[in-house]
Amino acid sequence: MRLAYVLRRLLYSALAFGISVTIMFAILHFMPGDYITQYLEAIYTIAPPEVVEAYNHAYGLDRPLIEQYFSYLIGVLQGDWGYSLSYSRPVLDVVCEKLVWTLVLLLPATVLSAIVGIVIGAYSGWKRGSKADIVLLNGMIFLRAIPSYWLALVILIIFAFYLGFFPLGGYVSLSALDTGIDPLDVMSHAALPIFTLFLFSVTGIYYLMRNSMLMTAGEDYIVTARSKGLDDPTILWRHAVRNAMLPTVTMIAFQCARMLAGSIFVETVFSWPGLGMLTYEAIEVRDFPLLQGILLIDTLFVIVANIGADMIYPFIDPRVEVGS
Amino acid sequence: MTTDEPLLRVRGLKVGFPTSDGLVKASDAIDLTIRTGETLALLGETGSGKTVLGMAILRLLQPNTRIEGEILYRGRDLLSLPEREMQKVRGREIAVVLQNSGTSFNPVLRVGDQIAEAITLHRGLKGPDAEAAAVDLLDRVRIADPARMAREYPHRFSGGMRERALIALALACNPSFLIADEPTRGLDAVTRREILSLFSEINRDRSVLFITHDIEAAATLAARVAVMYAGEIVEIGPVDAVLSSPVHPYTRGLLGSLPERGMRPIPGSAPSLIAPPAGCRFSPRCTFAVGRCEKEHPGLVEVGPGHYARCMLYD
Amino acid sequence: MRSFGVTPHARSSIRVWRWVTVSGHNVALYLSLGVILVYCAIALFAPVIAPFDPFAMSGSPLAPPDATHLLGTNDLAQDIFSRLIWGTRATLILGFLGAAVSVVMDTIIGIVAGYYGGRVDEAVMRFVDVMMTIPAFPLLLVVTIFFRPGIYVTAVIMGLFGGLNGVRIIRSQVLTLAVSDFVVGTKALGAGDGYIMGRHILPNILPLVGVKFVTSAQHFMLVGIGLGFLGIGDQNLVDWGQMIERASQNGGIILGLWWWLIPPGLAVTVISLALAWFAYAWEERINPRFQVMRV
Repeated sequence: MRLAYVLRRLLYSALAFGISVTIMFAILHFMPGDYITQYLEAIYTIAPPEVVEAYNHAYGLDRPLIEQYFSYLIGVLQGDWGYSLSYSRPVLDVVCEKLVWTLVLLLPATVLSAIVGIVIGAYSGWKRGSKADIVLLNGMIFLRAIPSYWLALVILIIFAFYLGFFPLGGYVSLSALDTGIDPLDVMSHAALPIFTLFLFSVTGIYYLMRNSMLMTAGEDYIVTARSKGLDDPTILWRHAVRNAMLPTVTMIAFQCARMLAGSIFVETVFSWPGLGMLTYEAIEVRDFPLLQGILLIDTLFVIVANIGADMIYPFIDPRVEVGS
Repeated sequence: MTTDEPLLRVRGLKVGFPTSDGLVKASDAIDLTIRTGETLALLGETGSGKTVLGMAILRLLQPNTRIEGEILYRGRDLLSLPEREMQKVRGREIAVVLQNSGTSFNPVLRVGDQIAEAITLHRGLKGPDAEAAAVDLLDRVRIADPARMAREYPHRFSGGMRERALIALALACNPSFLIADEPTRGLDAVTRREILSLFSEINRDRSVLFITHDIEAAATLAARVAVMYAGEIVEIGPVDAVLSSPVHPYTRGLLGSLPERGMRPIPGSAPSLIAPPAGCRFSPRCTFAVGRCEKEHPGLVEVGPGHYARCMLYD
Repeated sequence: MRSFGVTPHARSSIRVWRWVTVSGHNVALYLSLGVILVYCAIALFAPVIAPFDPFAMSGSPLAPPDATHLLGTNDLAQDIFSRLIWGTRATLILGFLGAAVSVVMDTIIGIVAGYYGGRVDEAVMRFVDVMMTIPAFPLLLVVTIFFRPGIYVTAVIMGLFGGLNGVRIIRSQVLTLAVSDFVVGTKALGAGDGYIMGRHILPNILPLVGVKFVTSAQHFMLVGIGLGFLGIGDQNLVDWGQMIERASQNGGIILGLWWWLIPPGLAVTVISLALAWFAYAWEERINPRFQVMRV
C-alpha cells in the first residue's frame, strides 16, 4: 500500500511539474520581443542581422512554437535543458553546480530556523500574554517587516565591515588559490548568509507554531496531563509541543521554497556563488535559456520539498497512515 | 468502612468565570462532604455546574477563574496549596476520569506510555517496570490483550476501550479519591453496563465523586446523591431517599422526565448564570412556586435523616 | 469546548488619562494606521513637499547632508531627500495595486471553491497546488526583465503571480459558511448561487479579506522594491530599491555614505512594519478570543 502511495505521489508531482513547465514556457514565449535579440543587444549594441539569424537557427527560434515546446519538453526530461548563452555550457550543468552551493546555505538555515522557530514559538504560545510572549511576538513582526536585501546589507555592514568577524563576501578567501578549499574557510564565509536566511525564515515558523500552540493548549489531553500531577514544563515540552508541531512541517517546506527566492538577494549581497547569484547574473546579461533552467530547478525544488514534507508527516503523526 | 472524619469537605465553594458579558457564577456556595469509601453521585443537566465542581477540586480550571471557599482534603485546604504541592496531590491522592475520553488522550503518544508516565511520577517506577505496571492496569480494567494495546495509539481504541483506559490512568497510583466525570456518556447500552460494573468493582474501598446525568447509573453505584441546578445543590441525601421519594420540585421533575417514569419534560429552560434569579433559582419553572419563592433565596433544609433540600415549601 | 488549559490573554493597557485606558491593541491599531496615512499623504503631496526635482542635478555629487540637502546628494548629484519623498509613490502603488489584484483573485477562487465544495473544490485546489509550485518570484523577474513593463503593469503581474497564498484561508472560511443555516435557508428560498456568493458570503468574509489585503500589501511592497534593488524597476520613477542598490554599488559602504544607504531601507521597513502591525491588531479584533465554557 505504501508503495502505491509513493508512486501515485510521484506521478502527481511529475504531472504538476509538466504543467508548471508548460505554463512557464507559454508565459515566456508569448512575450513581445525575442530573447536572442535582447541578449545580443546586451553584448553588441546593434546586432548584425546575420548574427541574429545564426543564433536564432542554432537555438531553434525559427521553428514553429509548438515544435519548440515539444522539443524543449522532451529535452528537459532527457536532461537537455538548453545551452547557456553566457556560460557556453549546458544549462543543466551550470545549474546543478550552483545548486550545491545554494544548498550549503539553505540546508543549515532550514534546520536552524525550524528548531529555533519551533522552540520559541512553542514557548511563546504556551505563555501567551506574558512579557516573553509579547516581546517575542513583536520582535518577530518587526523582523518580518524588514526586506531581506536590506537585512543582508545591514548584517554585512555590521558584522563584516565594522566588526570584522566575518569576511566581506565570496565563498573562499583568496588564499584558496594556493591552498585549495578549506571547509572552515568556507564555513566562515557561509556564516553570515546562513544567518540572514535563518532570520528570514524563522518568523514564519515561529508564527505558525505559536498559533498552533494556542489551539493545542486548550485541548482536553492537556487537562489530562495536568490532572496527572505533571508540572508545567513537562506538559509543555512532552505533550503540547509534539502536537503543536504537526502543522509546522508543511510550513518548513514552504519556507524552504521561500528561502530559495530570498537567496537571490542574500547571495547577491554576500557574493555567494549559488543559484541566487546565478539568477542575478543571468538577468543582467539576459541569458534566457539559463533563466529558463533556473525556473525549472526552482520548480523541482519546491516539488521535492513538498514531497519531503508529505513523507515525513506520517512519521510524526501516528494518526496518519501513509496514503491518506 | 467509613471513618468519622470525612475525606473531603467542601465549604462555601464559589466558582466564577469572567467573560466579556459578565461573571458567570458556575457554582454558588456549595457545601459537600464525602466520607472514606463512599460514592457520592452528582446529578444535573449540562450547565448545572457539576463538572466545574469536579474540576475545581483538583484546581484544573482556567487560571483566571475566581474561586472562593474551602476544599478540605484530609484536613488540608486544597485551594490554599502552592502549585507544587497541588501537583503532588493530583494523580496520587485525587485523580479524575475526564469527560471526553475521545479527546482526553494525547494522540501522538502511546496509551501505555501515558499511563506509565503517571506511574513513574508518583510511584517511582522507571522504564520497563512502569510499562509493566501500565499493562497490568489495562488488564485490571478488562482490556483484552493489554500488552499489545499498551503499545498502541489512542485512535486505535474503541470508545469503550478508551473509557476503560482513562479509568486505568486515573487509578494508576491508587488514589484515595476519584472524580469520575460522565464516564458513561455516549456509550451504547452494553458498554455502559460493563463500565458501570467495572466501576463498582474497582472502587470498592475508594471515595468517588460520580458526576453524571445518568440517573440509573447513580442509583446503581452511589450511596448518596446530590442534585445540582443552576450552580447550586438543590437536594442531597441517601440515594434511595432522593431517587424514590424526591423532595425538591426539580428532582421530581428530573425523575419525571425519565422515559420509564412518564417522560414529562420540565417546562422552561435553565437560567442565566451571570444574572441568576433572585430568590429560588428554580422558581420560574416550578409548578409549586409561591410568592415567597421568588423573593427569598432558600437554604438547605433537613427533610429526612441525612436528606436535605433547598426549597421554601419545607422551611 | 472546554479551554481549561489556556493561559488567558493579558490585555496590556496603558492609562493615558485618569478616565481613559487605552488597550495595547488599540494603540498598535491606531498608531500603525496613522503611519500608513502619513505615507499616503507624502506620496500624494510629493511634488509639494520635496524641495527638489528628484531627477535634477541640484548640487555636487556625493555631498554629505547640509541645510539645503537634508540627506545629501547621490552620485548623480540628485537630492536624496527629494528622492526619498518621491519614492513613496512607487512603493505604495506596487504594494496596494499588487495586493488588490492578488486579493481579488484569491477571493474569487476561494469563494467559488468553498461554496461549491465537492469536486469543484477539489479540482480548484489541485490547480492551486500546481500553480503554487511555480516559483513566483524568479518568474516575475524573468518576465519583468524581458517585458520591461511600467510600474502599474508590474504591480498587476506581481499580484497575479504571487497571489495564491490567501486562497486556502478564504476557502476554509467559505466552506464553513456555505453549510451554515442562513445560507442553506437562503438557498431554500430559491436564491441563485451568484446572489448568495455576492450578497451573503462575501460580506461575511470581508474582514478576513481586509486583513489579507494589508498583509499582501506589505509583501508586495517588499517584493516590488526588491525588483528595484535588482535593477529591474521602472527606471522612470524613483524607487527605494534602486536607491539602496545604487548606494551600495557606488561605495556606500566603503565610503560610509549613511545618509544614502540607510534612509530608503528604513523607509521601507517602517511602512512594512506599520502594515504588519495594523494587520495583526485588526486580526486580533476579528478573531473570537474568549471561548464560552460549556460545563
